[in-house]
Amino acid sequence: MVFAHGFGCDQAMWLPVAEKLQEEYRIVLFDYVGSGQSDLSAYDKDRYSSLEGYAQDVVDIGRELGLTNAIFVGHSVSAMIGALATIAAPELFSDLIMVGPSPRYLNADGYTGGFEEQQIEELLQFLEDNHMGWSAAMGPAIMGNPDRPELGERLTNSFCATDPEIARQFARTTFLSDNRDDLTKIPARTLVLQCSDDIIAAESVGRYVADNVPNAEFVMLDASGHCPNLSAPDEVTEAIRSFV
Amino acid sequence: MSESVPDLDLRDLFENAPCGYVTLDDQAQIMHANATLLEWIDCEADEVVGRRVHELLGMGGKIAYETHIAPLLRMQGFVHEIALDLKTQDGSLVPVIANASERRSPEGSLLLTRLTIFKSVDRRRYERDLLIARRKAEEEAKRREDEAVLREQFVAVLGHDLRNPLAAVQVGSKMLESNHDDRERTALIIAEIGAATSRALDLVKDVMDFARGRLGSSFPVELERSSTLQEAIEHVVSEVQIAHPEREISYDISVTKPVDCDEARICQLFANLVSNALQHGDTETPVEVRAWIESDRFHAEVANAGAPIPREILKNLFQPFHRGKSSRNRDGLGLGLYIVNQIAEAHGGEMSVLPKDGKNVFRFEMPTRQKSIDDSDPG
Repeated sequence: MVFAHGFGCDQAMWLPVAEKLQEEYRIVLFDYVGSGQSDLSAYDKDRYSSLEGYAQDVVDIGRELGLTNAIFVGHSVSAMIGALATIAAPELFSDLIMVGPSPRYLNADGYTGGFEEQQIEELLQFLEDNHMGWSAAMGPAIMGNPDRPELGERLTNSFCATDPEIARQFARTTFLSDNRDDLTKIPARTLVLQCSDDIIAAESVGRYVADNVPNAEFVMLDASGHCPNLSAPDEVTEAIRSFV
Repeated sequence: MSESVPDLDLRDLFENAPCGYVTLDDQAQIMHANATLLEWIDCEADEVVGRRVHELLGMGGKIAYETHIAPLLRMQGFVHEIALDLKTQDGSLVPVIANASERRSPEGSLLLTRLTIFKSVDRRRYERDLLIARRKAEEEAKRREDEAVLREQFVAVLGHDLRNPLAAVQVGSKMLESNHDDRERTALIIAEIGAATSRALDLVKDVMDFARGRLGSSFPVELERSSTLQEAIEHVVSEVQIAHPEREISYDISVTKPVDCDEARICQLFANLVSNALQHGDTETPVEVRAWIESDRFHAEVANAGAPIPREILKNLFQPFHRGKSSRNRDGLGLGLYIVNQIAEAHGGEMSVLPKDGKNVFRFEMPTRQKSIDDSDPG
């Protein structure tokens, strides 16, 4: 079972869910290049200017590990990255679990993604105002996690700190993507997990995804917000179990 | 019995502290917001209680809250010094700095989340000014670096390209010293020296145009209403033809109306385009030159047979120092097409290149009338 994080933070997002499933499945966690603890020198502006570049990384990881008929669990933008990976290499993943997916964040004719381009600019402004401790890398504060030892010792804010330039590009790639036409090509069995009150990917968007993927199931969670993997890991784990 | 001062102070500390307090329940919904915060955002308590905290933020902040702050809070239990913009009743934004921390039960389940919020108008403005200053400094440094690279290339290419014609002049003059009698041979050597000097002069001219284009804001052109553009273009094309007797240049020039332009510069544009076509095109096939007027625009095309120009070369074709790999003639700074493009832009026109029927076609078009020239002038 491969877990992929979305825009903003890193693989630590999936720990509360992944550790509940580690008895039953071989677990693969990774950080996208440019996020978390990845090797920033491997960041390639052109490759990661489209979600296909990230999907190619997922395919590369799957092939390197020799995966066949694995389960891909993608949060937020990773739901679409996983979708592109299943289209590019159908043999890798038999099941695709999309948590809070959106095939297009911007509004378009006859489609409500939820965002206008101006709002993406405001997000970029926020990222500029908040380096999330990135520039403090010279004298980092090491944070112990006595309550949650599974997180280990990490630099303060490092879960969600990225090079500001890379964060901007990831934001652009994510929020300006349009993969609506790819939904019908997804070969894997698909589960859409949707929260209420999710301003990043609204319920109508989640239903749009489930309606357009050929073999998809839609499950409405009790959890609210955009990150049920953190706010309601038990519910997410149960939903994954009962689907696969 | 009236409330004791210490009790009053504690309650008052929450409500009227010189900072905003917000408490969220385990579903991240607002339980309490103190009077200070409510005053900042011009809301009543019942307008915010029960809402999700991101609803107090502008749209960019909302996205960031959901993608960065909320997950970080869940993962590390606190976040400090987050810069946010609170949205007030009338839609204006209040810049603030916020800290947040979670309270959990001994079993580890979330009980509530506390936010402490400081208004930070001046500090945020200062930080933004710093950011802008840094970005400017970075851009300036990048520009200087680019310029330094350009300058180095420039010197290297100029040195390289001037060496050949100057060496020809030097060899020629040495030969003249020992060749007093053979008049026929002397004439040939003098002609060769003349041609080499012309090549060197052309290079220097290109360099000066380039330097002017780079240093000044725009390429120097002197616009006038020209009625003699037809003859001028035919003349320059036939000059190139004379210099290249081994090649065929066919032309069809039909400038039926006066054109506002710098005639010498337009001729230079044609000369450069035709030279470029001779240099890169198939040697067995004629270079075709066309010019015409259509709906108040002057159009020109120079076409040569040859393989389509690869996309990565097209990208930089009009940049200085560009030289195609197939270039047969190394006597050139790679400034020819750059200058063509500068001339086109200085006339409010544009250049384009496209492959058509096995040929590479360079197209130029510009308006026949320029604003700076009086319309009463018949040309």
